[in-house]
Amino acid sequence: MNPLRNLIHRLQRYNQIASIGEIARRYFAMNAFDGVLTIIGVLMGSYTAGVEEARIVISTGMATSVAMGISGLWGAYLTEAAERKRSLTELEGYTLTDLNDTSLGEASRAAVVIVALVDGLSPFLAALVVLTPFFFPQFFPNPRWIYITAIGLALLALFGLGVFLGRISRRNILGYGLRTIVAGIISIVISLLLGSSP
Amino acid sequence: MGSVLRLVLDTLKPHEPSIIELAQSISDLPGVDSVNISIYEIDRKVENAKITVEGPDIQFSALKSLLQDLGGSIHSIDEAVAGKTIIDDASTLQD
Repeated sequence: MNPLRNLIHRLQRYNQIASIGEIARRYFAMNAFDGVLTIIGVLMGSYTAGVEEARIVISTGMATSVAMGISGLWGAYLTEAAERKRSLTELEGYTLTDLNDTSLGEASRAAVVIVALVDGLSPFLAALVVLTPFFFPQFFPNPRWIYITAIGLALLALFGLGVFLGRISRRNILGYGLRTIVAGIISIVISLLLGSSP
Repeated sequence: MGSVLRLVLDTLKPHEPSIIELAQSISDLPGVDSVNISIYEIDRKVENAKITVEGPDIQFSALKSLLQDLGGSIHSIDEAVAGKTIIDDASTLQD
């Protein structure tokens, strides 16, 4: 078996044992949502403060994205490791065996790493997508258009996340998409109001 | 020494992996033809399973390692059949 297929096979096996997919999906949606809304805050703050240089928005946005990524990675790693350890120890109490070196122990450790990576990368990447227009200022007639495009991308990302959640719940996909967009619009409006107040 | 043709084990296992996956994993072992797993008691975190394995040459050590690797443990070996053909236990007057 080639290494990639072997890895996929192992991950599928770990997923069967430790139900990684479900929790990773939850973390992904929650943190990508967090990432987009945070970066909307950064963008609106920069916009209302009159920042016109793309470089400044990029460095502020990237620093925020990295901080969110590290926060997600660290937080999820510690939380998940503690929860999984507790759950394994509890199971050991029932089976009266040491489960550390079994597939269950391995799956549990893999779950911690995967969930931490998803938790850290999802806000980071979501924020990065929103910041993309600032990397190509030459394509826009003026800075205002970069902001508009980035905010448009943010709302699109929010809608995408809503659709993703709608598909998971197997309910109204459009309804979920609109609800996530509303969160973005509320955030934009409040930021604008705060920014315009003396 | 004759080959082991059938084993009936009383085991304790976590809910995950499920008996479907467990049965598939056992059936992949060399010398195993078929597996039957039935749950007869369910607890909050674990379940008791009766595992019947048949095949031309069942390797008990491999079966035991697999079960342990999946978090299970063998409570007892309730039936073992070895030889050239499978025979069921003979009924006696006490039955």
